[in-house]
Amino acid sequence: MTKQQSGAEQTALRRQGSNDLLGANSEIGRKLKQYYDELLSDEVPERFSQLLAQLEQAEPLQKKG
Amino acid sequence: MAVSSAFKNDLLAAIPNLRAFAVSLTQNADKADDLVQETLVKAWDKHESFQMGTNLKAWLFTILRNEFYSQMRKRGREVQDTDGIMTERLAVHPSQHGLLDLEDFRGALEQLPQDQREAIILIGASGFSYEEAAEICGCAVGTIKSRVSRARNRLQEILKISGEEEYGPDAISAQVTGSNAA
Repeated sequence: MTKQQSGAEQTALRRQGSNDLLGANSEIGRKLKQYYDELLSDEVPERFSQLLAQLEQAEPLQKKG
Repeated sequence: MAVSSAFKNDLLAAIPNLRAFAVSLTQNADKADDLVQETLVKAWDKHESFQMGTNLKAWLFTILRNEFYSQMRKRGREVQDTDGIMTERLAVHPSQHGLLDLEDFRGALEQLPQDQREAIILIGASGFSYEEAAEICGCAVGTIKSRVSRARNRLQEILKISGEEEYGPDAISAQVTGSNAA
């Protein structure tokens, strides 16, 4: 019984296609985006722009041939 | 000089994404920022190897991920940490009003094995295609698919929610879902 359900679920997942696996209808998909968006909106510390400015000054990039 | 500032701006623009991915991998904000810093330095040094017109974000994610695993290897025993802890932990209970709390979700995500967590983040959050994620992780597309699927099932199991129906209706169905996903 549980095995059949599991099989049917697998088939359903496959039929939905990969994108729907975490699509808008999935609570997991939504939470995942919420979790990540919160991380994305975190303010970027100064150290990174300073680091890049230093790199730019110390090791200017060569134009590729 | 123009090459430098253009590349610098591209890197700057990618930082929020790199930090988000790094936090997802390390589960630690300080380690994540160190990892991003390493990635930026490496990216600058390896600039030549970046093919213009290809996906910079994917290229940077690959560097970050490689750096992460090479640090993990150096630290040795920390590597499979998550796997061990996972089995010890009790399942997260949905908060009383039934809504899945973001804190609970974060806890559940932490319990995933490393390879499953990175796969579900790349696909479900960072916006990569399965092909790109496979490239980033250096594995087959099918491997990514099965990791994402297992990660999703496991999260549902931990959080006791069923697939398309919101917030698993009752304990019995949650158990059924749980045994299916195992």
